[in-house]
Amino acid sequence: MVEAVAMDFSVLLQIVVVGIAAGGVYGLIALGFVLIYKATSILNLAMGEFMTLGAFVCFTALASFHLPFYLAFIITIVFAVLLGVVIEPLILRPMIGEPVISVVMVTIGLGVILKGLTYMIWGPVYRAFPPIFPSSPLLLGTVVVPSGLLWGFLFAIATMAVFILIFKFSRTGVAMRAAAFDQQAALSMGVSVRKVFALSWSFGAIAAVISGVVIGNMSGLNIYMGDIGLAVLSVIILGGLDSIGGAILGGFIVGILQNLTGFYIDPLVGGGAKDIAPYVILLLIIMIRPYGLFGKVTIERV
Amino acid sequence: MRSGDFKENYISDEAIFPSLFARFWVAVLLVSLLLFPFVANNHLLYIANMIGFAVIGAVGLNLLTGFTGQISLGHAAFIGVGAYTSAILITRWGFSFWLSIPLAGLASALAGALIGIPSLRVKGLYLCIATLASQFIFGFIFVHWESMTKGITGIHIPPPAIGAWHFDNERKFYWITLFFVLLGVGYARNLIRSKMGRAFMAVRDRDLAAEIMGINLFRYKLSAFAISSFYAGVTGALLVNFLKVVVPEQFSFMVCIEYLAMIIVGGLGSVIGSVFGAVFMTLVPEMLSVLSDIVKEAAPEMASLIVPFKQVVFGFLIVSFLIFEPRGLVEIWNRIKKFFLLWPFSY
Amino acid sequence: MVKKTFISVISAFLVLGITVIAMAEQLPTICAVHPYTGRFAFAGIEGAAAMQDVVDMTNEAGGINGKKLQYYWADGEYKDDVGIAAFKRLYAQYKPQVAFGQSTGMTKALGPEIKDRYKTLYSAYTFAEEAANPKVNPYLFLPGPTYVDQFGVILKYIAKEKPGANIAFFYSDTEFGREPIAAGREMAKKLGLKLVAEEISQVGGVDLATQILDMKAKKVEYCIFQGFVSNPIASVVKQSKDYGMNIKFMGTFWSTEQQLLNELGPLAGEYTGVSAYSFYYQNDLPGIKKIQAWTKKKYPKIQYRSQSYMAVYMSTLLFVESFKRADKMPGGFNKPENLVKALQSIKNFDVGGLMPPVTVRDNSIPVGRAYRGNPATTKFDPISDWIRLD
Repeated sequence: MVEAVAMDFSVLLQIVVVGIAAGGVYGLIALGFVLIYKATSILNLAMGEFMTLGAFVCFTALASFHLPFYLAFIITIVFAVLLGVVIEPLILRPMIGEPVISVVMVTIGLGVILKGLTYMIWGPVYRAFPPIFPSSPLLLGTVVVPSGLLWGFLFAIATMAVFILIFKFSRTGVAMRAAAFDQQAALSMGVSVRKVFALSWSFGAIAAVISGVVIGNMSGLNIYMGDIGLAVLSVIILGGLDSIGGAILGGFIVGILQNLTGFYIDPLVGGGAKDIAPYVILLLIIMIRPYGLFGKVTIERV
Repeated sequence: MRSGDFKENYISDEAIFPSLFARFWVAVLLVSLLLFPFVANNHLLYIANMIGFAVIGAVGLNLLTGFTGQISLGHAAFIGVGAYTSAILITRWGFSFWLSIPLAGLASALAGALIGIPSLRVKGLYLCIATLASQFIFGFIFVHWESMTKGITGIHIPPPAIGAWHFDNERKFYWITLFFVLLGVGYARNLIRSKMGRAFMAVRDRDLAAEIMGINLFRYKLSAFAISSFYAGVTGALLVNFLKVVVPEQFSFMVCIEYLAMIIVGGLGSVIGSVFGAVFMTLVPEMLSVLSDIVKEAAPEMASLIVPFKQVVFGFLIVSFLIFEPRGLVEIWNRIKKFFLLWPFSY
Repeated sequence: MVKKTFISVISAFLVLGITVIAMAEQLPTICAVHPYTGRFAFAGIEGAAAMQDVVDMTNEAGGINGKKLQYYWADGEYKDDVGIAAFKRLYAQYKPQVAFGQSTGMTKALGPEIKDRYKTLYSAYTFAEEAANPKVNPYLFLPGPTYVDQFGVILKYIAKEKPGANIAFFYSDTEFGREPIAAGREMAKKLGLKLVAEEISQVGGVDLATQILDMKAKKVEYCIFQGFVSNPIASVVKQSKDYGMNIKFMGTFWSTEQQLLNELGPLAGEYTGVSAYSFYYQNDLPGIKKIQAWTKKKYPKIQYRSQSYMAVYMSTLLFVESFKRADKMPGGFNKPENLVKALQSIKNFDVGGLMPPVTVRDNSIPVGRAYRGNPATTKFDPISDWIRLD
C-alpha cells in the first residue's frame, strides 16, 4: 500500500519535474513576447515563425557548414538581431497609431510570409538536429530528466538571467525600461525611442531563436514547430502581458499544468487534452482576471 | 455628367442605390450573375460557389469586426458549428437541407453569443486572444465529440433536393449559393442603415460614449456576435452541403486568418468591401494554381516552391494592404468611381 | 478591380482552352493529386516522380497498345479541401479514366462521388480499409495490404514472440492515424495481447513526455505506431531509452522508411516495421534494377528512392496493366466497368521482385513483410518472408 502510494508520488514528481523543464522553455518564448509588447505595445503573433527560422539557421550552420556549436549559436543570435532590426522599421513603424486589428493582422501576415519563406528555402522534410548536447539524461533520485529537456531548461534559464541582468544593470537595459515606462519622459532624457523599439524586437527575436534551437534539438525541426507560439499566449496572459517576472513564472505554471493534464486527463478523453489545456487556461484567466498575475491594470480614461 | 449629389428627403438619402446610374449597373451585374452558369464550365462554377460562400462569411465577419469593432479570431469555429449542425440534422435526424440552414445559423449564433461574453469584460487585444482560444477549443470539440461529429472521419452528406430535383453538381448548387448571397448581402446592407447598424458603429467608435447615449452595450455587442455567427453558420452549412463532406480540418485557424484577410483587404466596415475581399482572396490562390500548372511544365524543379510561394503572396497581400491601403479595395474602388465622376477635373 | 477582372478573364480563357484541347481525343489519361507540399510532401514528391517514371517507361515501350498514356497532376498540399478542389479541376479539364488521391481523408471524402459520378479507377496515398471494399465501391483499390492487415502482421508477430505481452498503440490525431485502431483493438483481444495503453499525439508533437511516461507506468513492452512518418517516432524511441524503458517499437507502412532509420541512428535496431515492397538497395531484384537504371539516367543526383516511391510506382503499374487489359475488352478503357474488371483479373502478375507476383484480392494486395532496422548499415533487413494475409 505504501509502495503504491510511493510509486504514484514518484510518477507525480516526475511529471512535475518535466513540467518545470518544459515550463522553462515556455517562459523563454513568453519572455520574447513580453519584451516586444512592453516596449512597443505590439503582440507579435509571428513569434512561432521567428523560432522556426532561428532553428533552421542554426541547423544550416551546423549541418551544412559543419561549424562548431558555439559558432553556429553566435551566428543564430546575430541573425535574430538582424531580423528584429530589419522588421521593426519596415513593417511595424508604419503601424504606429493604427487600430489594434491592423497591428494584430500585420504580425499574423508577417508570420505567414516567414513560414512560406522558410518552406521555400528548407523544404517540408522533417529534420533531426545534429546532436549538440551530451545525450545522457539527468537522474535525480527516481526522476529522470531527458537530456533535450534538461539542456533546454538550462539554456532558457541562462538566457532569462542574461536578459534580466542587461535590463537591470546596463545602460541599454535602463533605457529600454525607461522607454517602456514613459515614452515622453524617456525621449526628453535623450533616449532614442526608435533604437529602443528596434532593440526590443531584436531581443524578442533572440529569445525566439534560442527557444527554436532548444526545441529543435528536443524534437526535430520542421516548418510546423512554430505552432507552439500560439499556445504560449496562455503563459503571457497568465503572467500579465507586460510583466517579465510574470512570463517566467507563468511559464512554469502552464508547463506543470499542461503535463499534469496530459498524464491524468488525456487517457480519459482520448488524447488531445494536453494540447488544448493552455487555451482553456487562457480563456479562464481572461474571464476571471484579464490582466494576469502581475500585469499592469490599464484604467481607461475617457 | 452629374457634378453633384443632392438628396431631398431622408428616404432617398438612405437608399441603397442612390441613383439611376447605380441601379442600372446593379441590374447588369444581377443579369450576368444569372447568366453565368450557362456559359461557365464545372471548374469555374466550383470557384463561383466557393466565392459565394466566402462572401457570406466575410460579410458576417465584417459586421462584427468592421462595423462593431470587436476583433474575432474565431470565425472558423462558428463556420464549423453551422456546418456540423447542418450535417448532423440532415444525416442523423432526417431534416431537410432547407430547414437545416436557418437552424445551423441559429446554432452558430448561440455559439457566437456565448463566445461574445468575454467582449463585455475585455476588449482589443484581450478579446482577440480570447476568441483565438475559443477557436482552438471548438476545434478540439469537433475532433473529440465523436458521438456527434464522428471526429476525424467526418460525416458524408447527401445532396440537397426539392422533390425530385437534386442539387448535386456545381451548376445546380450555384442557384442555392446565389440565393443566399443575395439574401445575406441585402440584409447586411439594410442592417447597417438601420438603428442597429448605427448602434454597432457607435460601439466601434467610442463604446463608453455610446453607453452614455443610451446604447445598451451588452445587447448590441452580443447581437453583433450572434448575427455575425449566424452568417458564419450559414456559410458553413452551405459549404459542407456543397462538398458533401464535413471534416474538422476544414475549420482550422488558417481559415480564420483567411476571412480576416478578406475583410481587411476588401475594406473594414463596408459590405461591398467584404464582397471585394472575398472575391479577391479566393481568386488569387486560384490564379496561382493555374500559374503553377504552367510552371510545372516549364520548370519542374520549381513545382514544389509554388505552394509556399502562395503563402508568401498571401501574407504579403495582407501586410502590404495594411501598410499602403488600410481602407482596402473598397477605397480603391471609391477612388476610381470618383475619378470617373469628376473627370476631367481631378478633385 | 480592373486587375481582378482582367485576371479572371484570362483564367477563364485558359481553362476553356485546355478543356477544348483535352476533349479532342479521349486517350488513356491518369490524373493525380499528389501531396507535393505540406506534411506529407516527402511522399508526394517521390510519388509524383514514381508516377511520371512509370508513364514515361510505358510510353517509351509503346504506350497502351500503341496509344500514348496521358498524365496530369496537381498539388493537394495534403489538405482535403485543396485536394478535392484540385481533383475536380483536373477532372473537368481532362476527364481521366483513372485517378490518384493524396490521402486517406480525401479518399473517404471523394469515395461516394467516385462511385456515383466520376467512375474513375482510383487509388491513393493510403492503405485504408475503406478503399479495399469492392462490394461497396469497386473503383477504389490499394496497391498493398490495408492498415488493418498490417496491424494483423505486427500483432501476430508479437503474439508469437511474447504471448500475452503488454502492448500500446501510439497514433496520430488524424484520419490516417485512427483508421485501423478499432480493428486493431479487436485483433489484440483475439490474440490474447493486453492493450494497456493508447497514446495519441499531434503529428508535430513536441512534448511527448506524458505519453512516454504513461507507457512506462503501464509497463508497455511493445509499442505500435500508426499515422506518423518519422516525427515523433524517433523522439519517442530516444526518450524512452532515457527514461530507462525497454520497449520494442513497431510501425506500419509509411514510417518504415529510410528517413526514420537515419534519424534513429544507432537506435535503428529498436524499430521493426511492415512494408509491402522491396527496398531500393535490394539490388538483386530485376524490378529494382530497372528503377535504379532509370533513376540514374533521368535523375543523376538522386541516390535513393523511398517506399513511398515504390507504393505509387506499384499503383501506376497496376493502372497501366488495367488499361492494357481493358483496352482489349469490348468498349475499351473508356467504359469504367472494363477497368474494374481488368484490375480484378490481375493474378500472379510479375513485377520483377518489387512484390511477390501480384494477385488482386478484394481490391487490395494483402501481402506484407516485416523488416527490422540494422544499426550497423542503417538499412532495413527483412526478418520474415512475404506473408500472405488472407
